[in-house]
Amino acid sequence: MNGTVIQVDGLSATYGHGANLVQALRDVNLEVQLGEIFGLLGPNGAGKTTLLSCVEGLHKPAGGRVRVGGVDVSRDPTAAKQKLGIQLQHTALLDDLTVAELVEVYAALYQVYLSADQVSRLLHRFDLSENRNKLARRLSGGQKQRLALALSVANDPEIVLLDEPTSGLDPHVRRAVWSIIRELHSEGRTLVITTHAMEEAEALCGRVAIIDNGQAIACDTPARLIAGLDASPVLKTSFDAPLERVQALPGVHTTRYSGQYLEIETSQPQVTLPALQELAIQLGRSIGDVMLRQPNLEDVFLKLTGKQLSA
Amino acid sequence: MKRFIVLTKAMTFMHIRNRSTLFWNLAFPVFLLVIYSQIFGTMDVGGTDFMTWVVPGVVVLNILTFGLLSSGTLMVNMREKGILRRLQASPVPAGQLVGSYLLVNVLIAVLQSTIILVFAALVFRIPFTLVGALRAFPMIVLAILAFVAQGQVISGVAATAGVAVAVGQILNFTQMFITDMIMPMDFMPEWIQKVAPYLPAYATVQLVRPPLMDGHLSPDLWPNLLVVAAYILLASIIAARLFRWAPKA
Repeated sequence: MNGTVIQVDGLSATYGHGANLVQALRDVNLEVQLGEIFGLLGPNGAGKTTLLSCVEGLHKPAGGRVRVGGVDVSRDPTAAKQKLGIQLQHTALLDDLTVAELVEVYAALYQVYLSADQVSRLLHRFDLSENRNKLARRLSGGQKQRLALALSVANDPEIVLLDEPTSGLDPHVRRAVWSIIRELHSEGRTLVITTHAMEEAEALCGRVAIIDNGQAIACDTPARLIAGLDASPVLKTSFDAPLERVQALPGVHTTRYSGQYLEIETSQPQVTLPALQELAIQLGRSIGDVMLRQPNLEDVFLKLTGKQLSA
Repeated sequence: MKRFIVLTKAMTFMHIRNRSTLFWNLAFPVFLLVIYSQIFGTMDVGGTDFMTWVVPGVVVLNILTFGLLSSGTLMVNMREKGILRRLQASPVPAGQLVGSYLLVNVLIAVLQSTIILVFAALVFRIPFTLVGALRAFPMIVLAILAFVAQGQVISGVAATAGVAVAVGQILNFTQMFITDMIMPMDFMPEWIQKVAPYLPAYATVQLVRPPLMDGHLSPDLWPNLLVVAAYILLASIIAARLFRWAPKA
């Protein structure tokens, strides 16, 4: 196997038939390389979960081919499934089993049989040791999420697919999950994560594929995707000043009023800001709030699709 | 093989820990036996004391309820919760899953049947023999398979657990009374007496009752075995066709 662990060629997928046919994926081409954290970024309904379902062997493609670790998923689904660790979007836990039992069962599904010691170590890693004998249905939301992650690697897979691993979580639980994901990555695993949150894609992913309306419209590192925008940071203030004066300040590309805010696009915010303050003193007014926004993947999405990433 | 065992163990725990269902499942037949002993205790059916006659029927009744309600709804629940989906994504062969599921159902229903028989033997002094119990055992397993298959057809057809329970209850109550299970056939109108022998519930009762009553296999062994076997086959085929890993979108 060369560097490519997941190969998606010309993948199309549909739901329903006849008059109710929905095209969920159109001619998607992707390659996930060994050892990277690969992101699928797109709004709800874009086709991210369908894409993962095709890789996981849960959904039969209408066209194209998916290979996992060199194995064609349609031809040999069992061998392909064996290589994966997965966490589905709606985490289904067998409520009436204990945390330890769940770990055992999920590993056993892949014919990986964990000793009590190995189970303990896995639980300790995900900070679930205290809950070892607790029934799954008695866990808190954050504990369930950590458990779902633990289960996704119970069989020690080389490739891990996580569908919206932090959706609905509190910010601090989210950070904890990110930290676990980075740890899994540092062990040499290849991870694929779907998300609709730009910060998550930027924080975790080495490369991101932007998915919208069933198509993969761009794929690169977040930095290069953003650089490709050729956009500049934006200074946002509640300063009230004539636009021509602001436009004349050093480093400024464009200025405009958006609602009650003055938005100044500048390639050199560190030069423009002091000049802005000087202008404020000259005019005898205060600047008020100042925010600096760097271009990000939301801007990339907006430019590529004309739509907002977060509705 | 090891995977099969782990899976069976997990499903058994899941089923057993669904605590109240298991208890109420048993409470009803026990309750029925106690009530019946008070009402019909002195009656006899075709020369046999009523309680000896009715206990095998109650055993089959319990299996009927179990197959139609517990077993079917467990599957629907697993589907609705996305557990089947997760299993589908793993490399477990579907055959192992089904086999494991059936084994768990058989184990639990056999356990329940044993509890009812022991209770009846101790409290009502029903004269079961060991030989009779051993001869009844394979018949009991067949009954379990028949009603679990029926339950799976229901769960395949029902959109939600609620519907599965409703349909299960209807089939449960109708079959309970018209198939010589807990009410002798002689009390039934003629048209029911004509139709009943074709029902699997009737056939299973005819197979289970004789060994438990007098230790011998049913005199009408082969026709009844045929009905039950044909039924298990048919229901299994239908259940397999209707099987869905995920709820309809």
